[in-house]
Amino acid sequence: MKKTLGAVAVAAAVALSLSACGGGASSAESSKGEISYWLWDANQLPAYQQCADDFTKANPDITVKITQRGWDDYWSTLTNGFVGGTAPDVFTNHLGRYGELAENKQLLAIDDAVEKDNIDLTAYNEGLADLWVGQDGKRYGLPKDWDTIGLFYNKAMLASAGVSEDQMKNLTWNPENGGTYEEVVAHLTVDKSGKRGDEPGFDKNNVAVYGLGLNGGGDSSGQTEWSYLTNTTGWSHTDKNPWGTHYNYDDRKFQESMEWFAGLADKGYMPKLETTVGAAMADTFAAGKSAINAHGSWMVGQYTGYKGIEVGIAPTPVGPQGERASMFNGLADSIWAGTKKKDASIKWVEYLASADCQDVVASKAVVFPALKASSDKAAEAFAAKGVDVTAFTEHVKNKSTFLYPITDNTAKVKGIMEPAMDAVVSGKAPASSLTQANEQVNALFK
Amino acid sequence: MTTLAKNPRSVAPAADKPKPHGSLRRFGDLKIALLFIAPAMIGFIVFYVVPTIRGVYLSFTEYNILGDPEWVGIENYTAIAKDPLFWNSLAVTGQYVFLNIVLQTALALGLALLMHQVAKSTIIRGALLLPYLMSNVIAALLWFWMLDYQIGVVNQFIEWAGLPRVAFFGSEAWAIPTQALINTWRHMGYTALLIFAGLQAIPGHVYEVAKLDGASAFQTFRKITIPLLRPVLVLVLVVTVIGSFQVFDTVAVTSAGGPVNATRVIQYYIYQRAFTESDFGYGSAIAVILFLILALVAFIQMKFLKGNESDLD
Amino acid sequence: MTTTASRAQLPAATRRRRAFNPRRATAWALLVLAIAVSVLPFLWVLRTALSTNNALAANAASLLPAEFSFGAFKRVFGLQSAAEAVAEGGSGAQIDFWIYLRNSLVFSSITTAGAVFFSAMAAYAFARLRWKGRNAVFSLFLGTMLVPPIFTALPNFLLIKNLDLLNTMLGMVLPYLFMTPFAIFFLRQFFLNMSREVEEAAMLDGAKHLRIFFQIILPNAAAPIATLALLTFIGQWNEYFWPLLVGSQDDVRVLQVGLGVFKSQSPQGAPDWSGLMAATLISALPVLILFAAFGKKIVNSIGFSGIK
Repeated sequence: MKKTLGAVAVAAAVALSLSACGGGASSAESSKGEISYWLWDANQLPAYQQCADDFTKANPDITVKITQRGWDDYWSTLTNGFVGGTAPDVFTNHLGRYGELAENKQLLAIDDAVEKDNIDLTAYNEGLADLWVGQDGKRYGLPKDWDTIGLFYNKAMLASAGVSEDQMKNLTWNPENGGTYEEVVAHLTVDKSGKRGDEPGFDKNNVAVYGLGLNGGGDSSGQTEWSYLTNTTGWSHTDKNPWGTHYNYDDRKFQESMEWFAGLADKGYMPKLETTVGAAMADTFAAGKSAINAHGSWMVGQYTGYKGIEVGIAPTPVGPQGERASMFNGLADSIWAGTKKKDASIKWVEYLASADCQDVVASKAVVFPALKASSDKAAEAFAAKGVDVTAFTEHVKNKSTFLYPITDNTAKVKGIMEPAMDAVVSGKAPASSLTQANEQVNALFK
Repeated sequence: MTTLAKNPRSVAPAADKPKPHGSLRRFGDLKIALLFIAPAMIGFIVFYVVPTIRGVYLSFTEYNILGDPEWVGIENYTAIAKDPLFWNSLAVTGQYVFLNIVLQTALALGLALLMHQVAKSTIIRGALLLPYLMSNVIAALLWFWMLDYQIGVVNQFIEWAGLPRVAFFGSEAWAIPTQALINTWRHMGYTALLIFAGLQAIPGHVYEVAKLDGASAFQTFRKITIPLLRPVLVLVLVVTVIGSFQVFDTVAVTSAGGPVNATRVIQYYIYQRAFTESDFGYGSAIAVILFLILALVAFIQMKFLKGNESDLD
Repeated sequence: MTTTASRAQLPAATRRRRAFNPRRATAWALLVLAIAVSVLPFLWVLRTALSTNNALAANAASLLPAEFSFGAFKRVFGLQSAAEAVAEGGSGAQIDFWIYLRNSLVFSSITTAGAVFFSAMAAYAFARLRWKGRNAVFSLFLGTMLVPPIFTALPNFLLIKNLDLLNTMLGMVLPYLFMTPFAIFFLRQFFLNMSREVEEAAMLDGAKHLRIFFQIILPNAAAPIATLALLTFIGQWNEYFWPLLVGSQDDVRVLQVGLGVFKSQSPQGAPDWSGLMAATLISALPVLILFAAFGKKIVNSIGFSGIK
């Protein structure tokens, strides 16, 4: 009797302890096997593939399967995956989207793991780590990289226009007359008969080279299109960031800036919006059809890789308040709440956020990793390739950055703002039409 | 028209055997009929009837798929009435349908007459049918390439002709007409074949009589061909109109509703609200409205054009 | 009487007497134009698929491939390394059309087999069997042809999700598997017109309906069923919306959906035109093959199916 009781007791104890560890799956299962990881930037794929290989060497019972999808496909397939229960275990997350995902409880909170594994959040560039703490106070990601905006320019065109690189690096702008920024852009615009944009007889309907390239209307953020200008006037997208609940597209300063921006296309210094469909701003630059492109630091590899064009990078113009501004975006890797490989995923995310991986990314000179030490290494790697990236790193050093707007309902906001901004930038509607769009946007938050 | 090769009346019914299932005939087939219909019935109920009911139910809820539906009464419908994008989608779709019908019917009718006149070979008909066999996605991408603003071949020719390049997909004025053109290109062969078959069905003697009576080509066309073609034409019209209202594939793959809202057709807008913006209830409500519109359109067409009757009979 | 001559007004019975009839010549010219417009774009697709991206801009209108290369096809089948792909203007992304091709084949075959077979059974019941309410039920079925697919797509999506069948081949196939309204309509028409003698003879011999169906009706209907199967297969091959909703993960994605996202694969760049055209060709290939093999059947079916 006693023996059997003892045996039963032991069995019960074992059973209890087994059920105590690991939510749905046994903990052994959740820390082994293959985990799926998604990203969208094909340029970064080689770097992360190497990270995955190194990770598997260090953790032989975990393999990482990386899938790359183009930007549009990425988000719709991801959402579909959440709905269908087939989302990836780990995926690259974006500030503009993560609010909704957290709200819909699709992300796994990693506070416990971060604390347990002593992740040093101060090693990241300032402000990045806090961005990934949701409205509920829980952490949903570890910073991966950051980016800012700069002006890519065609050195040869500058030289033949008589604009010095020094001038280029010290441009000024204001919404009334565009400052020296507009002057340079106008001067760099050349029509088919060779006349420059600021010369008499310039034919704005027959432009051969545009002074400034155009990506699109910019929808709700205008990350590369206009935010580096609008935010120098003291304007910001939302009442507070992150987690604002009121957008400011009805602000007079903002609308003036957009009027100026749309005016550039009117004057012939910037391509018409309709011509950007099916084309890419970077490729148009490479074809010699634009002299300056405002774009993000993640594009450095692409721009400097074009054959036959010498590219320079200048910081964004100084605004009417005497300061520069650049949108500061940071990506992070998040874990899907429904993952069956929780422990393995956490290990992978921590690896991605560690110096081991971020140094690899830095060495490939494609983006700036989030860790301070790694991003310095990236700057060095860029320099070793002959690319001067101070235009991007300056913003971080001088704290002239502002965050990508992080709120709820971003998909709906974008759905409202994309056509509204397109209408303004294409000249179809005046900037004052944005007030009505703004009302619709703010109605989402009531 | 194809018919089953008839077996000659070689089997004489045996005179002394009584007819099987005599008076039971009326009901006797029910059991077996049910068996035969069962699978189709399952499909019909599960994937047509139930979704219809559920769709109507969902239109009265707010549902973001990841949670549970929340009943909100007619809120979705009142919001739709005030939604500029909804009215825009109606206008845009209407524009598309109109352009499509006019172009497609005119071209198809012309082609059918040409074929009837000049050449009836399968090869020619096959060549014209080729675009129809390709999917909407393929047709859209093919033209997306050929009409590209920077390096598309069509714009190259336009430039050679001395005209300014046209941003077919980027310009608001051109966006929907371009979609209509793509759709017409894809369907004109098929529609032409439909009408062609109808032309073939008109007995030759009718024309001979007309000719003997001294009717001119135009009069023959107007007074004989068109009226006899009416059932076919009506069918073609109804099918084309209903089909055009449901344009989605070509838009999704090329312009995604843009530029601005110039190609945000109804079905695309429904997809956008339901799947991209996770607003299933709202999307369902618009779908209900679309269904009602289509039912109305079909009803009006059949009623006014009297497609059920054929003047030949 | 004066006639306003235009190509649309040629009388039906023109006699081919004259050696050169300007009207006929115009008619032919227009027909040739229509054929050219229908067929040439595909040749253009082929030409682009065999070109290299970087040379496209320079040779925008030349009829021959710009810098002939099979690179685009290699890219689409995942046979090029990321570096090579980027060098040729591709995206360096992973694309694997073999899987999409397989998925399309499976999807189209299963749905065609199921829909045609079950629809044939139902059509037989509507055409040949006598039972109460037959016409009413048939009208109901016919009514489904009027329902816009989008209307049932949303709830069907939810149903498949509730059944935990999202992103599975079974989930994609289900709504089409049991019947398509068109198939029932098409076959019922045919069965209605079939001669009854053989059937009645068999019944007199005591054969049950099931046997009659399988041993007499089906074999005799082989031709229209084959045609229907062809048309259904092609239609299913070209489906986009439903597979987009329900089959977004790679292992079940079909060609049309894969094609639709191919465009957006390039990061920050213009579409990989040659790759896109190669992918388009590959997506069209099976239908082209079917058409080459069974073209006559398909073409001749249009008239029959189109008229009530």
